[in-house]
Amino acid sequence: MIIPRLARRNLFRCPRRVILSMVAIVVGIGVFILGEGLVSGVTENLKVSSIESMNSHVLIRPPDYPEGIQHPVDELLEIDEEVRRVLDEETVAWTERIIFSPTAAAGPDHVRARAIGYDPVRDPEVFSRALWQVTAEKPDAEQNEVLLTTGVADLLNLSVGDTLILRVRTHLGAMNALRVSVSGIVETGFHNIDSMGILMSLSLAQRLIDADNPTHIGTRLESRDDSEPFAARISELLGDRAEVQTWQEDVQDLMGIQNIRRRALQIISAILLALAGVGMANTILMSAYERVREVGTLRSMGMTKQGVTGLFVFEGLIIGIVGSILGALWGGGLAAHWAVNPIDFGDLIDVWGEDLAFSALVYTRFSMGTVLFGVGFGIVVSMLASIFPARVAASMPPAEAVRAE
Amino acid sequence: MAVCELKHVTKSYGTGPARVDAVKDISLSIDSGEFTVFKGPSGSGKTTLLNMVGCLDTPTEGDVIVKDRSVKDLSSRALSRLRASTIGFVFQSFNLMPVLTALENVELALQLAGLKEDTREPAAKLLSEVGLEGFERRRPNQLSGGQQQRVAIARALVKHPALIIADEPTANLDTTNGAQVLDIMQALNETHGITFLFSSHDPRMIERGRRIVSLTDGVVSSDERRDSSGGAG
Repeated sequence: MIIPRLARRNLFRCPRRVILSMVAIVVGIGVFILGEGLVSGVTENLKVSSIESMNSHVLIRPPDYPEGIQHPVDELLEIDEEVRRVLDEETVAWTERIIFSPTAAAGPDHVRARAIGYDPVRDPEVFSRALWQVTAEKPDAEQNEVLLTTGVADLLNLSVGDTLILRVRTHLGAMNALRVSVSGIVETGFHNIDSMGILMSLSLAQRLIDADNPTHIGTRLESRDDSEPFAARISELLGDRAEVQTWQEDVQDLMGIQNIRRRALQIISAILLALAGVGMANTILMSAYERVREVGTLRSMGMTKQGVTGLFVFEGLIIGIVGSILGALWGGGLAAHWAVNPIDFGDLIDVWGEDLAFSALVYTRFSMGTVLFGVGFGIVVSMLASIFPARVAASMPPAEAVRAE
Repeated sequence: MAVCELKHVTKSYGTGPARVDAVKDISLSIDSGEFTVFKGPSGSGKTTLLNMVGCLDTPTEGDVIVKDRSVKDLSSRALSRLRASTIGFVFQSFNLMPVLTALENVELALQLAGLKEDTREPAAKLLSEVGLEGFERRRPNQLSGGQQQRVAIARALVKHPALIIADEPTANLDTTNGAQVLDIMQALNETHGITFLFSSHDPRMIERGRRIVSLTDGVVSSDERRDSSGGAG
């Protein structure tokens, strides 16, 4: 067929103009796909970080437990046999934690820390250690050993083998202090723990707060999507003796912000594509005005107005299809690359705040659906942008057009 | 048999006091096989008349009948179909598609006329007939003016139209190439009986016409038929 060939070759008459239009499409589609991948990746990171660092699938804690870095131990969890039975039967794993806020002092330096006392056997079944980088073995409770996170170790300038004093307010309100030694430095991968965390065995934590009961119970379910019905069931059993929080509730505010970010990104992508569309319309319109005589000649040879419209729209479509595919390759390629090789946001997170449950390593989410949507959207924008100039070309009176200079 | 008839055709531009009649109340009949030239000075209405005969434009008043079809009430799409099937055009500036080869330019006419396959062979044959064998793969900018006009003739001819309209076909050619183009047109008219209707104010070209219609200020001032020897018929 000669007509598609004609359309294709017409594009190469002014390659720089066509390439510029194409670049605009490439940028628009690429930003959309990459941005979607990044926002989805950050969203997933927030969810996983909440689940794997502090909240687990469903977290049980004392009623009216404050948000933030205060971790009072005045109220402890009282778990009866019925609740234990449900936890045993309906979770994949559950574990007790004592979380408190000691003052850690080493020489003249001291820092308010977040201490987590955990069950060395059960805790890893609920809170994944996949991202943990630790320099030594597990801390030994008998030897008063703790793991320091990198943030605390840096602040107090401590390393393995050093000692520090933990000053704690006990469950009953008395002051307690204990010299502990650093058995290892750990980086859990979650900023809210790594910035100020001290990890120790549950028994050492019990000694420090002078109580046996936990402050938190974390759970792992078959699927994170089961958290809401399970939380409802546990909540019913515990009544007002405890507060039950799903991971969805934990990240609810952040998800709201993420949705705003996603919407903002979509608007930016739409604006970029609209600008690309205007550029495309301009390219096709200029092409139409440069080819008035050719349009007239085609009309004289029997091409209908619809045929002329189709010819110019086809040219726009070629730009749109090639641009969209290149944009998808660029944006999708980077999204796919970073889905395997994470981006390190470590420096940025330090600025965001120390209590942010967020892994510094962000994996983008590569979605073929997003890529296909992006390509389709780019093609539709290109087609729509071509229609107006194509109609301008088609409406040229053939008698005048064939003699145009 | 008439290929085309003009019945009291008037073409005006503008309205009210600004109205200008480019063509006024012209009635003509073009028979099959004619080799007719419209002559007249610039602004006499030659191009306007050819546009209406070629269905590129419609009259303000009167009617044009092409192959027994009145164009007055035809839609834009129907006019396009009529042009595709019935009328071939040769323009002063050749009007070839610069991005297509000579062969593709001719094939394009066939495809627009509705032939989707096997366009290469008839297109190549026509190019050969106008003396362009070996030039099929050249683009217009690789051809001389005379060669381009011959491609344009082949393009107009390839769909076997009832009528070929040529508006000043030699105006952009030198004497030799102009004469060659005219020779080809005349030979096609004589051998294949193709109806040619062209305009010119070049006396050498007008001499070749077997019917000479003179236009002055949008009206026919004379309509002279001549025999093959060149004498008045």
